[in-house]
Amino acid sequence: MFRKIAAAALVVGLALPGVSQAAKVKIGFINTITGAEAPIGENLTNGVTMAIEDLKKKGIEVDLTKEDDTGKPEKSLAAFEKLATRDNVAGVVGPYTSACSSAVASQADKYKVPILIPAAAKEEITRKGYKYVFRLNAPADVYSSVLMDAVQTIDKPKTIAYIYESTDFGTSTVKTAKEYAKKLGIQEVADEKYQKGAPDFRSTLSKIKSKNPDLVFMVSYVVDAITLMRQSKEIGLTPKAFLGGGAGFTTAQFLAQKEISNLVMSSTQWTDDVNWPGAADFAKRYTAKYKKEPTYHAACAYEAMMIMAETASKNGGDRDKTRNALKSGQWNGIMGEVKFADYAGFTNQNNHPMLVQQVQGARYETIYPPKFATKKPVYPFKWK
Amino acid sequence: MTFSVLMQSIISGILVGGVYALIGIGLTIIFGVMRVINFAHGDIMMVGMYMTYFLFTLFGIDPFLSVLITMPLMFLFGALLQKVFINRILGTLPQNQILLTIGLGLIMSNTAMLAFTSDYKILTTSYSSSSFNIAGISISEPLLISFLITAAITVGLYWFLLKTDTGQAIRATAQDREAAQLMGINVKWMSILSFGIGSAMAGTAGALISPTYYIFPQVGSAFTLKAFVITVLGGMGSIVGATLGGIIIGLVESVAAVTISSDWKDVVVFSIFLLVLLVKPSGLMGKSRM
Repeated sequence: MFRKIAAAALVVGLALPGVSQAAKVKIGFINTITGAEAPIGENLTNGVTMAIEDLKKKGIEVDLTKEDDTGKPEKSLAAFEKLATRDNVAGVVGPYTSACSSAVASQADKYKVPILIPAAAKEEITRKGYKYVFRLNAPADVYSSVLMDAVQTIDKPKTIAYIYESTDFGTSTVKTAKEYAKKLGIQEVADEKYQKGAPDFRSTLSKIKSKNPDLVFMVSYVVDAITLMRQSKEIGLTPKAFLGGGAGFTTAQFLAQKEISNLVMSSTQWTDDVNWPGAADFAKRYTAKYKKEPTYHAACAYEAMMIMAETASKNGGDRDKTRNALKSGQWNGIMGEVKFADYAGFTNQNNHPMLVQQVQGARYETIYPPKFATKKPVYPFKWK
Repeated sequence: MTFSVLMQSIISGILVGGVYALIGIGLTIIFGVMRVINFAHGDIMMVGMYMTYFLFTLFGIDPFLSVLITMPLMFLFGALLQKVFINRILGTLPQNQILLTIGLGLIMSNTAMLAFTSDYKILTTSYSSSSFNIAGISISEPLLISFLITAAITVGLYWFLLKTDTGQAIRATAQDREAAQLMGINVKWMSILSFGIGSAMAGTAGALISPTYYIFPQVGSAFTLKAFVITVLGGMGSIVGATLGGIIIGLVESVAAVTISSDWKDVVVFSIFLLVLLVKPSGLMGKSRM
């Protein structure tokens, strides 16, 4: 008797669309949740969490599988293989770092799982013609070129010094920076790589100081940016501009160090005052929810998850259809217009316009390009 | 490269080396007395860093003054670890001891992550980036202060080990555990004492480095490695060796960064390290135990 009722209930349940209909779309998310880059990874997690909530409001239920790669490529790859074979996800968002992303990207075509990389910069990731790899953020070359373009509108600097961490992100960003500087006729006077997390940059910085460069270009994750700027001040290194290539120079922690962050220019994928649809609202909701301001990583991850989940859901979780829809689709959200195009050797790369921001009065102000600018740049640099 | 750039790197190298030395001394004391390699050393240092951070942000106690609080607290923490965990495995296989200290370190760093999240904590004092100039060479104020404190602690520790009864008992235990026991020295107590001192040194190093560095749960691992290189270079168990080792490493890192390039400095450091071990396998000041 009881069994009959249960069976009847089951039949009714199946017959009523929308009641027990499990149109959940399975998405994987690989991120650096623990390990040295975890503080930035947290922003991505927060962005994705907000995306899942917003998707729910739109009627898209996401069955999210989170994987932690601890910032190590081999773990990232293992996570991806698990998502592709065991969890059977329709698509993957992530990983965060360049090293992890390039490892995972190399296997995406093999498993035919579309992945959308939200914030990794290394150019090669979308340069190898992978069919299933998509990237939302602008690649490494733009990190440096947009900064130099911004400076070019004010001055004609003659010399540049580079100091950057010896990671995929650091070296690839500086490699393209050098090419661009050469094109602009800016002469390189110093090229210093460092091991991330080093406590002492004083000798390297004083070597750079003795070369007296017009521009100092730095690339680092998280807090090395703070150590570098603190010790620059100590040493008295005063170029006409400090240029920070994304990441560590765009965090709330960096901003909070008023004494050393003031007037530093940095390139970023996103700011909260840019006029892309929903950007300001996203920042407001994010700040209310997490009690801190969103970084560009949060915005990138949010938008990446929105795009991936919507597309996958529309295509019933089919990997190939999702891949094709990503390729042909077009979006306009908090990251501005998004389209995955093939250009200048890139495949499935969103030609995202980067912004330059400068710390002015303990706030990040957008100073370039002019159509997004909120404040005029302050130049040359002065210590507070 | 000019003379002033070289001088600059020599001076900052020595100053940074002072703090390295303090980390190394802690490790070498523990090894000397118990023949236990403490893989949790960096994590103990991390605990000291968080302690300094919270004393500063919650109670407004200056990081350098807070050493007076951090040091005894870290001593108690270390002594407790020794009493509750490490004393139990002193006679067992070395790999068990290694696993135990690694495990303790993991528990510490992951507890810190649970309690304080993985966010980087940055201690901002009014002097975090201040310096003064002598003949064109800028000297970091916080670094100089921490170097002086390190020097004072090292001298104090030396005096304690050489002149006091307890200090002599610790040294006796380090030289020959069984003979010391036969002489009526409570070696278990000496182990507790020396692990406490070692932890206090690590915690103090953490406190001293806080104003110029940053704090996060995994900060320890990099320093554990450094502490090893320092102690092995100086000779396991030798305090003078660890002091020397710390300063040499700081100096070589700094000078190699200006004369060669900053991405080659580790190559230089480890080449020197290997060379010393080839010529003198027991380390600079170490006595061969064969």
